[in-house]
Amino acid sequence: MEPPATPGASRPPTPSAAEVPQGTDNDGPIVVANEFADVVVRKAHTRNGVRLEIWSPRRGTVIHLDAVALDCLSYQEPELITELLARTPGA
Amino acid sequence: MSSPPAGDVQRLLETMQVGVPEGRVPARIFNDQAVYERERERVFGRVWCFLAHESEVPKPGDYVTRYIADNNVIVARTERGDLKASLNMCRHRGNMMCKSEMGNSSHFRCSYHGWVYKNSGELIGVPYFKEGYESKLDRKQWGLVPVRTETYAGLVFGTLDPDAEPLEEYLGGFQFYLDIYLKQGPGGSVVHGPPDHWVAETDWKICVENFSGDGYHTPVAHQFGFHLGYFPSSGATHSQGWAAHIPGKGHGIGLGHTPGMPPFAGYPPELVAQMGETLSPAQMEVFSKTRTAVGSVFPNLSFLIQPFSLVPGEPGVRFCTMRLYHPTGPGRMEMWSWCLVPAAASDEYKEAAYKAYTLAFGQAGMFEQDDFENWTRLTRVAGSSVAKHLEFPYVMGIEREPLSDFPGPGHVVSPYVTDTNFRGLWGTYTDYMLKES
Ligand code: FES
Ligand SMILES: [Fe+2]
Repeated sequence: MEPPATPGASRPPTPSAAEVPQGTDNDGPIVVANEFADVVVRKAHTRNGVRLEIWSPRRGTVIHLDAVALDCLSYQEPELITELLARTPGA
Repeated sequence: MSSPPAGDVQRLLETMQVGVPEGRVPARIFNDQAVYERERERVFGRVWCFLAHESEVPKPGDYVTRYIADNNVIVARTERGDLKASLNMCRHRGNMMCKSEMGNSSHFRCSYHGWVYKNSGELIGVPYFKEGYESKLDRKQWGLVPVRTETYAGLVFGTLDPDAEPLEEYLGGFQFYLDIYLKQGPGGSVVHGPPDHWVAETDWKICVENFSGDGYHTPVAHQFGFHLGYFPSSGATHSQGWAAHIPGKGHGIGLGHTPGMPPFAGYPPELVAQMGETLSPAQMEVFSKTRTAVGSVFPNLSFLIQPFSLVPGEPGVRFCTMRLYHPTGPGRMEMWSWCLVPAAASDEYKEAAYKAYTLAFGQAGMFEQDDFENWTRLTRVAGSSVAKHLEFPYVMGIEREPLSDFPGPGHVVSPYVTDTNFRGLWGTYTDYMLKES
C-alpha cells in the first residue's frame, strides 16, 4: 500500500518543467464518473484566458472555475466537500 | 425444498462430533438447507471473515464490497487514508448504498431519497432537512452501521461478533505458514488486478477442505497438468511432504515436496535472496522445500503457491492465488479468486506469475475446471435421498504421530497425503455449529 495521501495543504514535490504536460491537445473533455455521479470536465477558453468547466449532464448544472478558485481548492481539507454536500445534498 | 426440523441438524452434528475423531464425516453437510442456515448464524456470525486485501483499496476513496454471512459490507479507504468497513445499507430505508463491487468515491449518495454519507460512514447530507425534518433528525445517530475489522499482513478481516477474540489469537500461529503467501519479499504481497468472481453450484466447504491440503486428488483430477508437463511433480513421489494444522482453530496447510527440486524453484533468484529478510530462518527452511503450499484459514479463505509452466516442459513459474468461498445457499456459493504477487518483484515476473495463475486457476484455469467438475457433482450427490444418510471415511493417517522436530507450529505430520488436517477442520467446524450463543 502506498502511504495515504495527506489531505489539505500538502506539498508534493514540484515536477520539473519536462514533466509538465505539454501541447495544446489537452482541452478535454474528460469524464470523471463513479456509481454516484458523473461530470464532464474541459478547458473553457475566454477572450483573455482560461477556466475549467465542470458540467453535470444529469443535473444540467455547470461551473467555470478560474486558476485562483482552483488554487484555493487545492489546499482545502476534504471536510470542505463534506460541508458543501451537507448544505446541498443534491435532491 | 422443505427444511428438516432443527433437532435433526442437532443430531447430525452430535453424530459428527463423535464421528470426526474416529474418521467419519456425514455427506449431508455438503448440501442441506438446515445446515446452511445454522452455518450462517453459528459459523459466519462468529468468525473473522476475510473482506479484502489492503492493496485492493490503496488510495483515498477506493472501496470494494464483500460479504460476511449474507450481509454485504463496504470496505473503503477514507479521505484521511484509514480503512473503514460498514454495512452496505442506507439507514433511511435500507437501500443498498454501493451497487458497484469496486469504485472510488469520497461520499456515497443513496439512489432512493438521496441521503449522503462520508465513505467512512457518517451521515452528512439529508435532502429537505429543514423543510421535511425541521432540522430535527440527529444525523450522528444514523450513520452506516460500522463493522469491526482487524488486519494481518495486508489481509483485512471483519467480524459480526463483538466478543470475537483478537485476530492474532484467532489465527493462532497459522501466521507462520500464511507468510509464504503474504510476505513474498520486501513490501509483502499485493493483488494483481481485480479478482475473478463467479457463481458455482458447489458447497463452500469442499473447496476449503481441498485447499487445506488435499494433495491426494492432484495426480488424478489434474492428470493432464502432470502428463503434459505443466506441473513439476510426478505420481511416483507426489505423496511426499507435510501437513500442518492448528488444533482447535481449523486452519490447515499442505506442503508438497518434490525430491531434487531446487529450493524455491520458480521464483526469480533476487526475490529468494530478499525473502530471507522478511521471513524467519525457520520459515525459510520449511518453504525452501515446499513445491506446493495449499492452505486454508477457517472458515472460507484459501491460498495456493506452486510452480506452473507457461509452456509445457519448460521450468515452472511460481504463482500465488488467494480465494474466498462465500455460501449463498445449500450447495451454492459465490467465489472470488485473486492473483497475489510480490510487491518488490519485477514487472516481468509479475506478468509471468499472473499468466501462470490464469492458466492454472481463475474461472477458466486448467486446474480450476478440473476441480469444479468434481466438486459440483459431489455437491449434487450429497443432497440426494440415500447419500444424505451416508458417511465418508476420513481415516487416512489417523494413527500417525505428529513430528516432534518440525520447524513450524501446529500439529504437523508427514507425508503430505493424509486426512489429518481435515479431521482438524471438521472438528473445529462441529464445535462452532454445536456451540450455543
Ligand atoms: S433509502 Fe436511502 S435515502 Fe431513503
Ligand atoms: Fe485441485
